Amino acid sequence: MSQIDLERVTKTFGTVEVIPPLDLNIADKEFVVLVGPSGCGKTTTLRMIAGLETATSGVIRIGDRDVTDLRAGLRNCSMVFQNYALYPHMSVAENIGYGMKVRGTPKTEIAKAVADAARILNLEPYLNRKPSALSGGQRQRVAIGRAIVRQPDVFLFDEPLSNLDAKLRIEMRTEIKLLHRRLQTTIVYVTHDQVEAMTMADRVVVMNQGRVEQAADPITLYERPRNRFVAAFIGAPSMNFIDGALERGDGGVNFVAEGGVKIALADARVETLSSSVGEKITLGIRPEHTMNAEQAFPAVDIKVADVEPLGPHTLAIGKAGQADFTAQIDAASPVRPDEMLRVSLNPAKMHFFHANSGEALGRLEG
Amino acid sequence: MSVRDLKGRRRWLALAGCLVWLAFTLFPLYWVGITSFKSPVGVVGGPTYIPFVDFEPSLTAWRELLSGARGQFYSTFMASTIIGLSASVAATLIGAMAAYSLVRFQFQVRLLSGLIFVFVAVGGFLLLRDILGMGQALALIYSFIAALGLSVISAWAPLPGPILKNKDIVFWFVSQRMFPPIVAAFALFLMYSEMGKLGFKLVDTYIGLTLAYIAFSLPIVIWLMRDFFEALPVEVEEAAMVDNVPTWRIFFGIVLPMSKPGLIATFMITLAFIWNEFLFALFLTNSRWQTLPILVAGQNSQRGDEWWAISAAALVAIIPMVIMAGLLSRLMRSGLLLGAIK
Ligand SMILES: Nc1ncnc2c1ncn2[C@@H]1O[C@H](COP(=O)(O)OP(=O)(O)O)[C@@H](O)[C@H]1O
Ligand SMILES: [Mg+2]
Repeated sequence: MSQIDLERVTKTFGTVEVIPPLDLNIADKEFVVLVGPSGCGKTTTLRMIAGLETATSGVIRIGDRDVTDLRAGLRNCSMVFQNYALYPHMSVAENIGYGMKVRGTPKTEIAKAVADAARILNLEPYLNRKPSALSGGQRQRVAIGRAIVRQPDVFLFDEPLSNLDAKLRIEMRTEIKLLHRRLQTTIVYVTHDQVEAMTMADRVVVMNQGRVEQAADPITLYERPRNRFVAAFIGAPSMNFIDGALERGDGGVNFVAEGGVKIALADARVETLSSSVGEKITLGIRPEHTMNAEQAFPAVDIKVADVEPLGPHTLAIGKAGQADFTAQIDAASPVRPDEMLRVSLNPAKMHFFHANSGEALGRLEG
Repeated sequence: MSVRDLKGRRRWLALAGCLVWLAFTLFPLYWVGITSFKSPVGVVGGPTYIPFVDFEPSLTAWRELLSGARGQFYSTFMASTIIGLSASVAATLIGAMAAYSLVRFQFQVRLLSGLIFVFVAVGGFLLLRDILGMGQALALIYSFIAALGLSVISAWAPLPGPILKNKDIVFWFVSQRMFPPIVAAFALFLMYSEMGKLGFKLVDTYIGLTLAYIAFSLPIVIWLMRDFFEALPVEVEEAAMVDNVPTWRIFFGIVLPMSKPGLIATFMITLAFIWNEFLFALFLTNSRWQTLPILVAGQNSQRGDEWWAISAAALVAIIPMVIMAGLLSRLMRSGLLLGAIK
């Protein structure tokens, strides 16, 4: 069993509190991705799990062991770094086998483990090369090989794909997922790339300024973001936000914003939002939940500033009233910059957030 | 802009300037070289420049030097080599350890602990010698041991006053090279003599001179190696730490190999310093462990200005260093670090 529990863990550098009390539970065999903007404390959290930083307060457990004050080497974790961190003077085989050699493992056993890792990671032709003679993707594979021969309780990855080019990144994404399925080891994976997070994780932990904004499986994050930060962070192109208020009128409840935006709400939504009528709220709608104007759906007019034809569909980027707005429309739509465009919003996919706190309103639980 | 971009006249001017400078630096070497092959008459009879044309080369100087007619040439050469190599190796190794710890670990030394050391060392020495009438050397040893013990113990106590950090410690090391070496040389000579009276012979011994050189080289080694270690990607060591590699093994198995170019450069600089060092060798040796600089200088004084002999001795002192630098600079250029990180 190698679940990881962080209880009220904090980290302070000097006088700066980088991680306010953090609670995080990672299940055995789970693939958890920590994602968030740069500087939000993902690496610090990961390094506290690895034992490369000591927690200022709180308790860290791996499996049933309290590892809070245990040094890194005794935690039985393996870590893969963004810049590979290979031993430059050793060959690929020596890099992978070094930890075992230090621990006094017999030579034949090391050779077997290295051969196994090389086979899994397609490194067999390169075993005698120095890291300097490898490409970035191969180097990162060596680093992963070095991690798996340890047979650790936990794999820790800190932005392992950030130095690779886009195509290789996508390939390695799949490889790491396959590796997880094969090895069945708990993985904590840090990235700033929400696509990486969504595609790889069993569960994504969205962090912001050291706090967990929401921890859930990718679909839940996408469909039911707990607050505006998560809504904005997950999804590309990112969600549109219009600041306004709910007002009664015209025989129903309308969302009204500056610049003549007025969106009628469906009755089902009114029920859950009725307590917020009159308050300042923010409406959120993802570009992929907008469409060319249709009678049945509420609509907004946007002043188009730019058109991005992507093939399957086209993005119209502009302003709805005062707010920036990106709409996804049919590829065939004859829209040009500086024109006005009427787009409909899928009422079932609208999100509402408290304007001040950013908390999601009328969010369906579950 | 680089010299390669220069065009036409400027290019020729640059080349001419370089050639002049080359001649300027090479001529003394050439001059020493041919002088060592001149006969005494040839040296005194006015300048001659080209062997076989201007003068007939003679092996007199070399024969005298190698036959030992002019001081113990072989033993001096061996002393220089043994002391130079062992002191450089030891200083590079010890200094590298110190530099590494100063780069990777945070130290805190209370200023008051340092003051306690100075006070107990000096005060204790005076007390033991003048009031209790102990011998110089014993008083020195006891007071320093007491001072070291007390200051280390006091470092645990929550003393008031400023706290010195790593950069202060580095400055402290480097500052030891700021006062004139004669101060240290003279003090060392006195201390060594006192130790000699106790039965530990240090003057004119291998261990005495080597220790002095190690101590005096350490500041430079620490200063240089600190820069090399700071340039290393810390993740490589962290990867090893996570992999449960013991700290000493990380240092010897990973950090030192990674900083090989730096180690070689530092070793070279240290060796060059020790090989050429004159003052300490003059004070701390007198026959058995005399080094080459003393021998070369001695050629001048023993029988007057015999330039042919001086030249031969000087060449012997120069050539090993030239060969060493040539070999090691090739090693240094191997791009070892590439591939550790992106
Ligand atoms: N050793 C350190 N000393 C001081 N501040 C640090 C240190 N390491 C990280 N920080 C700060 O902690 C914050 C979080 O850093 P980090 O965990 O690396 O962020 P992320 O990995 O999410 O980009 C940043 O503001 C960073 O400046
Ligand atoms: Mg980071």
